[in-house]
Amino acid sequence: MTESRIRYAVLAALLLALAAVPYVSGKFFVYLTMRVMLLGIFAVGFNLLLGQTGLLSFGHGAFYAAGAYGLGLFGAYVTPNPLLGVAVGIAAAAVVALLVGYLCVRHTEIYFAMLTLACGMMVFSFVWNARSITGGDDGFIGIMRAPVTLFGGLRLPIGKDSQFYYFVLAFFVLAVWVAHRIRISPFGLVLSGIRENARRTEYAGIPVRKYRLSVFVVSGAFAGLAGALEALLESNARPFMAHWTHSAEPVLVSLLGGLSSLFGPIVGGAFFIAMREIIQRYTENWMLGFGVVLLVVIMAFRGGIMGAVENLFGRRSAGAGR
Amino acid sequence: MMQSVVHTVLAGLSAGMFIWLVASGLTLIFGVLGVLNFAHGSFYMLGAYMCYTVLRYVGPDFWVALLIAPLSVCIIGYVVERWFLRYVYHLALPYQLLLTFAFVLIFDNLAKMVWGAGSVTPPDLSTLNGTVSILGRNFPVYNLFIIGVGPLVAAGLWLFLERTWYGRIIRAASSDREMAASIGVSVPALFTAVFVFGTWLGALGGGLAVPYVGLVTTGMGETIIIEAFIVAVIGGLGSLKGAFLGALVLGVLTAFGTRFFPAFDMFLTFILMAGVLLVRPQGLFGTAR
Amino acid sequence: MQKKGINRRQFLKLTGAGSLVAAAGTIGGGLTLPKGLWAATPAIKGPIKIGYQTVLSGTLAGYGEFHKMGLLMAVDEINAKGGIAGRKVEVEVRDSTLKPDDAIKNARYFVDSWGADFLGGIDSSGQALALAPLMDKLDRVLIVTHAATEKLTEDFVYRKGVRQIFRNCMPTYNDGNAAAFIAKDFPAVKWATVSPKYEYGFTCWKMFRETLTKLKPGVSFTAESWAPFGTTDFRSHINTILDAKPDGLYSTEWAGELISFLKQAKEAGLFDKIRYVMLPVGAAMDVLEGMGKDMPDNLWISGRYYFQYPNNKTNNEWVARFRKRWGHYPAYVSETAYSCVYAIKEAVEKAGSKDTGAVIQAMEGMGMNSPAGHRVFRKEDHQAIYDVPWGKTKADPKFPFKVMGDMKVLPAKEYFNRPPFEGPGTTPPFK
Repeated sequence: MTESRIRYAVLAALLLALAAVPYVSGKFFVYLTMRVMLLGIFAVGFNLLLGQTGLLSFGHGAFYAAGAYGLGLFGAYVTPNPLLGVAVGIAAAAVVALLVGYLCVRHTEIYFAMLTLACGMMVFSFVWNARSITGGDDGFIGIMRAPVTLFGGLRLPIGKDSQFYYFVLAFFVLAVWVAHRIRISPFGLVLSGIRENARRTEYAGIPVRKYRLSVFVVSGAFAGLAGALEALLESNARPFMAHWTHSAEPVLVSLLGGLSSLFGPIVGGAFFIAMREIIQRYTENWMLGFGVVLLVVIMAFRGGIMGAVENLFGRRSAGAGR
Repeated sequence: MMQSVVHTVLAGLSAGMFIWLVASGLTLIFGVLGVLNFAHGSFYMLGAYMCYTVLRYVGPDFWVALLIAPLSVCIIGYVVERWFLRYVYHLALPYQLLLTFAFVLIFDNLAKMVWGAGSVTPPDLSTLNGTVSILGRNFPVYNLFIIGVGPLVAAGLWLFLERTWYGRIIRAASSDREMAASIGVSVPALFTAVFVFGTWLGALGGGLAVPYVGLVTTGMGETIIIEAFIVAVIGGLGSLKGAFLGALVLGVLTAFGTRFFPAFDMFLTFILMAGVLLVRPQGLFGTAR
Repeated sequence: MQKKGINRRQFLKLTGAGSLVAAAGTIGGGLTLPKGLWAATPAIKGPIKIGYQTVLSGTLAGYGEFHKMGLLMAVDEINAKGGIAGRKVEVEVRDSTLKPDDAIKNARYFVDSWGADFLGGIDSSGQALALAPLMDKLDRVLIVTHAATEKLTEDFVYRKGVRQIFRNCMPTYNDGNAAAFIAKDFPAVKWATVSPKYEYGFTCWKMFRETLTKLKPGVSFTAESWAPFGTTDFRSHINTILDAKPDGLYSTEWAGELISFLKQAKEAGLFDKIRYVMLPVGAAMDVLEGMGKDMPDNLWISGRYYFQYPNNKTNNEWVARFRKRWGHYPAYVSETAYSCVYAIKEAVEKAGSKDTGAVIQAMEGMGMNSPAGHRVFRKEDHQAIYDVPWGKTKADPKFPFKVMGDMKVLPAKEYFNRPPFEGPGTTPPFK
C-alpha cells in the first residue's frame, strides 16, 4: 500500500470512530467530543494564520463572538433555521474580521498581536455595553435548536445532543477539509512563502498585505463557524467569547498540538480539554496541574505533540516548524 | 470643576505609576533578553503577598516589608530564568508567551494554596497614612508618595544604565550579544541578573500596591500585566522612556475616561493602543525596524 | 484578627489526596445505618448524590471555600444521623470558574457522568441564566445558593416553567427593593451610586430607584459611576460621587472590590461628606473581616444571611458549631450551602423519593427551618422567602470586626416582587 492509501485508511477509521461516539459512549463524552470539535474548528482556522502565515492573533475571540451573536440575533428576529443561522454567523464573523484585518495586517509579530488584541477587546467592550441588543453580561440567552430543513421537505431534528452531534460533526469534517484544501492550494503556498520570508515574496510581485488580509478573513470565518455552533450547543452567546482570554485558547492549543500540521491544533484541543477534565477529577488545583503539564510539553517537545509523534516515526513534517 | 480635574489627574498619575513599575521590568527584560514575560504580573502578585506576609507575621513596618518582600520574590525569578526561560530564548514569541503563561497558572494556584483562596487584607499601617487637602478635597499622602516613587525609579534606572559600568554592559549586550560575549562578558549570567532585577521591579510594584489597593488577591497580576504590555508596546518595545510616558498617559487617560466619559471607559485603553500603533507602528520611542 | 480562608491544615484536608468525596464518604460511611421510618423506604435506591459547583479559582475563590465549609458540615451532620431517608449523602464539588460555559460543562458532568441526583451552587447570574434553559433536559433539581438575578426565577421558573430550578438565597429584591424601604426614612433626597458595571449592578440600582421613588416622591438620583469587573482603583469613581454632592450613596459593590472601594473612599473623606450609605452586601463576612476595625461606623449594611440574625437557638448553635469546626464566622454562602443540603433532605423525605418530579412537588411551597430562620419556597417561582436584617455598622468589643447595630428586619413578603411579575401590584410597596 502506498503512503497516501494508508493515510486515507487512517482518516476513514478516525471518521468512523467519531461517527460512532454517540452509540458507544455516555452523554458527557458525547458533549465533550462536541466541545473538542468546536475548539478544533476554531483552532484549525486560526492555525491558517499562525502556522501557515506566521501571524499571531490575540483577537480571534471577537470573530467567534460575532458568529455566536450573529446566529443568536438572526434566530431571534428572522428565522430559527440553523443552517441559515450558521451561514449568517460565518458572514458576520467574516465582516468583522475584514474590518479588523484591514487595520491590523499592516503589522507583524508582537505589534500585530497587540493590535488584534486591542480590536478584540473593543468588540468585547461593545458586546458588554450594548445591553439592549446583546443582553450585556447576562449573555444572549435562550437560543433554540430548530430542525434542519433540507431540500424543502426533509426535516432533521437536532434538539437532542445525540442528533446535534452529527450536525457538529458534519461541519467539523467540512472545516477540516476546507482547511486542508487551503493549505495545499497555491494560495496556501504563497502564505507559507510569506511566513518564511515576506520581503522575498513581496519582491516576487505578490501583494503580501492582500494575502494576509484574505487569510485573516478566512480564519475569522472559521472562528465564526465555531462560535455559531457553540451558540447552538449551549443555547447562549456570551461577551467573554470575545475576551482575549478566549482568543488565547486557539493559540494555546495550536502550540500544544504543533503548528506545522493540519491536525496539530485538533490534537492540541483534544489534549487541552481532556487534560483539564482528567486533572479536575483528581484535584481542585487544576490550574497547578495544567500549568505543570504545559511546562513539560513546551520544555520537552518544542514542535508540539504532533511534532513529537512525527519525530517518533522519523518523518519530517511538510511545513517547516517555526 | 478645577478640583475635580486636579484630583482626576492625581488619581491617574498614581495609577500610572504602578503600571510603570511593572512595565519597567517587562521592558528591561524584553530589551535585553528579547523575552516577553507573561508571568511578570505574577511577580507583582507575589511581591504583594510577600509584603502582606512580612507585615502580618514579622511586624507592621512597611519599610522593612518593602525591603524584604521584593528580594524574596527575586529568588523565584532566579529559578524561573535559570531552569526554564533560559531554554526558550531561541524559540519564537508564541512559545515564550505560552511557557510564561504556564507559570501564571502555577503561581496563581500556589498563591491560593499558601495564602488561602480569599483576598487578604494588610494590617493598618502607621506609615504615610494621613491625607492632605488639595483644593479642599482629601488626597492620601501615600498616593503622593507613589507619584514620587515612579520618577525616582525611572531616574535611578536611567543613571544605572547610562552612568555605570554594569549599565553599559547591559546596553552592550542588548544591542549585540556576540560582541558582548567576545569582550569577556558572561552573557548567561548577565541575562539572569537582568531577569532577577526585572523581577525585583515588578515585585516592588506589588509591594507598593498593598496599601494602595487595600487588599491582595490571586489574579491581581492579570489585569496589570495586560496594562503593562499595552504600555510597553505603546512606548516602543524595549524603550524605558516610552514605557514611562506610556504608563503616565494610560493612567491619566483611564482616570479621565472613568470620570468624564464613563460610557467609553472599557474602550479607552484599547483605542489608545490601536491609535498609537496605527500611526507609529514601532511605538512612541521604538526604533523603526 | 482571624486569618481568612480555610487554614492550611483544613485546606489540605479538603483538597488533598482524599478529596471532598472521599472525606465525606469516610466520615459518613461508618455511621450510615438505616434507621427509623426510612429504613423501610424501598423507593430510594443508592446514595443521594449532590453535584455542587462554586468558584474555586481566581479573585473570588474565597467564596468557594466558604460554600464548601457550609456544604461539608451539612453533609457530615446528615450522614452522622443516618443520611437522607436512610441513604448516605455523597457530594462532589467542582470549580465553576465563574464562566457560564464551565457551569454548563460541570452540570453536564455531574448529571451525565457522575450520576448526580441533585445540583447545587452557582455564584454568578450569567452562569445561572446560561444553565437555566438546560435544566429541562438534565431534569435534576438545581438549588441556586448565590446567584441573585431575579430573571432566573421570574423568567425561567415562572414564565417559562423550568420547574427544576429553585433558589434558597436572597435575590436582588433585598439589594434593591429592601434598601429603598430602609432609605425612605432618611432625610436624604439626593442619591448617587458606585456599582458594578454589569447586570447585577444595573438591576439593583433600578429597583432601588423605582421603589424609593414610589415610597418617597421627590427623591432624585444625581450620579452613577459604574466600575467594571476587576476594578481595584476606585479613586475616579469616588471623585464622580464627591462632585455630585449627594446626600446618600448606594453601592452594590461586593467582596474584594467593596473592600478596596471602602478603604479608598474613607481616605478621600467620602464618609465625612455623605452621611447615608447603603451597602446591600456589606454584611458579607469577607467584607466585615477584611475591613476589620477600618470599617467606618454608621454605614447601612445587609447580606443574604448575617450570623447574628436570627438570635435564636438554631442559629446560635449553628454559628458555634461552625466556629468550632472552621475557626470562622459563617459567610452567607456557607449558610445557603448548608441549607441547600437540608432542603434536599426535607424534600426527599417528604416525597419519599429522589425522583425529580416528586421532589419538585414536595419542594413547592415547602417550609423548612434553617440557621437563617424559616424559609418557604414560593410555589410560583421557587424562590425561598426568608427574612434578613439591615443594620448600621458599629464596633463591638467582642468581635475583631464591626458588627450590625440598630437591626431592622423587614418581612421579605413586603418587598419581594410578586407573581405574575408584570403589571401593577407586582412590585412593592403592596397595600
